[in-house]
Amino acid sequence: MGMIDITDLAVTFGHGAARVQAVRGISFSVQRGESYGIVGESGSGKSTVLRALVGLAPVTKGTLALDGDTLIGRRSKAFYRRVQMVFQDPYASLHPRQTVDSVLSEPLAIHGFDDREGRVARALDDVGLGLGFRFRYPHQLSGGQRQRVAIARALILEPEVLLLDEPTSALDASIQAEVLNLLDRVRTERGLTYILVSHDLAVVAHMCERLMVMQHGRAVEELSRADLHARVATHEYTRTLLLASEGYRVSDGAAQGAAS
Amino acid sequence: MTLYWSREWLLAEQPASRRQARVGQAYRTWLALRTNRMAMVGLTIIALLILMAIFAGVLAPFDPIQGGDLRTERLQPPSWTHLMGTDDLARDIYSRILYGSRITLMVVSLVAVIATPVGLLVGTIAGYFGGWIDNVLMRITDIFLAFPQLVLALAFVAALGPGIENAIIAIAITSWPPYARLARAETLTIRNADHIAAIQLQGASSARIIWGHVVPLCLSSVIVRVTLDMAGIILTAAGLGFLGLGAQPPQPEWGAMIAGGRQFIIDDWWVATMPGIAIFVVSLGFNFLGDGLRDVFDPKVRK
Amino acid sequence: MTPLLEVEDLRVSFPTRHGRTEVVRGVSFSLGRERLAIVGESGSGKSQTGRAILGLTPPPGKATAARLNFEGQDLRNATPKQWRDLRGRRISLVMQDPKFSLNPVMTIGRQLMEAATRTSQTRAEAKDHALAMLEAVQIRDPLRVFKAYPHELSGGMGQRAMIAMMLIPEPDLLIADEPTSALDVTVQIEVLRILDRLVTDRGMGLIFISHDLRLVSSFCDRVLVMYAGKVVEELRASNLAQAQHPYTQGLFNCLPKIEGGIRPLPTLQRDAEWAR
Repeated sequence: MGMIDITDLAVTFGHGAARVQAVRGISFSVQRGESYGIVGESGSGKSTVLRALVGLAPVTKGTLALDGDTLIGRRSKAFYRRVQMVFQDPYASLHPRQTVDSVLSEPLAIHGFDDREGRVARALDDVGLGLGFRFRYPHQLSGGQRQRVAIARALILEPEVLLLDEPTSALDASIQAEVLNLLDRVRTERGLTYILVSHDLAVVAHMCERLMVMQHGRAVEELSRADLHARVATHEYTRTLLLASEGYRVSDGAAQGAAS
Repeated sequence: MTLYWSREWLLAEQPASRRQARVGQAYRTWLALRTNRMAMVGLTIIALLILMAIFAGVLAPFDPIQGGDLRTERLQPPSWTHLMGTDDLARDIYSRILYGSRITLMVVSLVAVIATPVGLLVGTIAGYFGGWIDNVLMRITDIFLAFPQLVLALAFVAALGPGIENAIIAIAITSWPPYARLARAETLTIRNADHIAAIQLQGASSARIIWGHVVPLCLSSVIVRVTLDMAGIILTAAGLGFLGLGAQPPQPEWGAMIAGGRQFIIDDWWVATMPGIAIFVVSLGFNFLGDGLRDVFDPKVRK
Repeated sequence: MTPLLEVEDLRVSFPTRHGRTEVVRGVSFSLGRERLAIVGESGSGKSQTGRAILGLTPPPGKATAARLNFEGQDLRNATPKQWRDLRGRRISLVMQDPKFSLNPVMTIGRQLMEAATRTSQTRAEAKDHALAMLEAVQIRDPLRVFKAYPHELSGGMGQRAMIAMMLIPEPDLLIADEPTSALDVTVQIEVLRILDRLVTDRGMGLIFISHDLRLVSSFCDRVLVMYAGKVVEELRASNLAQAQHPYTQGLFNCLPKIEGGIRPLPTLQRDAEWAR
């Protein structure tokens, strides 16, 4: 039994002609303290898996379990204390009219935490933002700073599982490195369990011990970090991804030129 | 040592307290509004209207209800004694317009206070929950919208009985549906934003999300709409007054004053024209302010 | 031989509450019929450089230059008519997101035809040209895409249609601003292949604006690295690993690697000196 067990998960949006099968039978399990990656291109259903886990997407088939407890219907408040999520776009995931302070205080108020002042201050400190940021509005922050606030918001309830939906794809490379280091450090310090969704194989290789490659809502294959380091992949699609991640090769153009 | 309320304190990049952050934000909005000339003209007109209403007793040279000598002072053209002339009951029109501003201001503020929250709540609740709640609330809204506002207000006043209080209630009842529509449309786009998903994942209740997260984002566009509608509300109130269903004589309501001047409009033009100009200027002021607010709240519209 | 494009001391500034702020501060380079990359982080001024060359600095911004020549023609004082003749015919611009660059209420075909009728004699000829161009950007079913509206296409398709539209007049210079950032890696390679062939086969000049140092190093001939509105380093793409400037090195080293690497990742320590 893992921290998170997903068995034969399927997610379908819409009805009739507009029916879209975003996820078609996915199974995996993540151990406590492990970091698990999901890699895929747009439309592969990788983010939908996370959204289904937290109850933002409708589950049509299969079972989801947290620490052995099956999750059905509306998630309880207690669930959200244990599982938190960081979204892709730091420009969309913070309320434009709320200060950093109210963003961080609200979850504490919802769950009735004590010592809110101290917790907010510590949370800001943990993500490398000083107290000077406490009463700023999102528009006074850079993309990287916003994402740090979003991470602080997710951590402030002291969860056990953190779901990361492309946490750095909207950020510059140098900022990405800082945020990835932050996430790495927090996990070691608190023994968190991560599920990281990304389109970038290099990010997943850096952050995760195991990963799953998804295409068209299905799992293509599951790899370990060692497999990825050695570029060992059995499936054709994974190999294509590995090749594409190296960048453009002159032979790409030449091969095409010869073919046509 | 920081000087409170100084420019530096207000525009600080790193506010030190909740209050400073909030006041600073308001100050930034004010700075943006101040550069908008139209909005400032509108704001000045409305400020003058408020001052007029407060100091009507001091500014008015004559009693607005009690007329002068009916034999000598009836229908006098504008002069230094009667700046805007007198009406058929020998009352000073200038004094009546000053006192009338109180009624106008009362109508406008009461309608805003009643209709805005109703529209906001109906719209955000319908938009946030969707499904059958949305259907029921929006069909009710549609029913209200199916009648021209003045006709519906007329029906309500007819049912409630004529009088300025009933006119206000009738106007308020008939003016919330457009705000509900607007708030719902805004909510539908906000509902799927990541920051709403994020607060849902904090375990927040629907009431907390609607009140604390959705309403503040709808508020600015609704405020703009309400401000722009103020002109229409003033005109509806004047229309009801004109038809004899709003303020009752001898109250100095601007619409009723025009109605009173109707029979002399050819020979004694000032009786109907002066309150007409007052309605026109105040409506224009609200429109200017509304346009300015829209530019400040929604920079996308601005060129 | 005169270069295709010469830029000297290009400056772009925007007014702010505290006076004018320069976002591009004296950029100079010349471009032949080659692939030149401009790389930098957000806010480095790389996009504004591309726009300024086309005279598309959004007001109230202002662009000035000591020299801005396109095939010997001075672009600094070009009249609106001269710009019309240049833009979309001799110089094209491809932007990051096809959603904002394509008209949502017109079919792809009509938008392509608009560009094609300027160069073709008859409607039939223009349509043939448009369809041929869609095929050239590796769209497998050109007729379906021709009749489709932008929202009916995937991101990759839309971006390819966009590129087709920009290439119909066979421009001499293409400015591509993050043309592949919104695309999946596999589609990205295909779009690059199209651009590559245009440069090698037709001798087009390409300015490729990107934040992705790794991609750029594999695709372009030359790289300009921008920081805070200035070019801090110019080097051949193949020599990127031997970059001299600490900013270029920092950008290159902070990328995570599939083969595994240092943990924690080396981060970029910014130096105020760089912005001087």
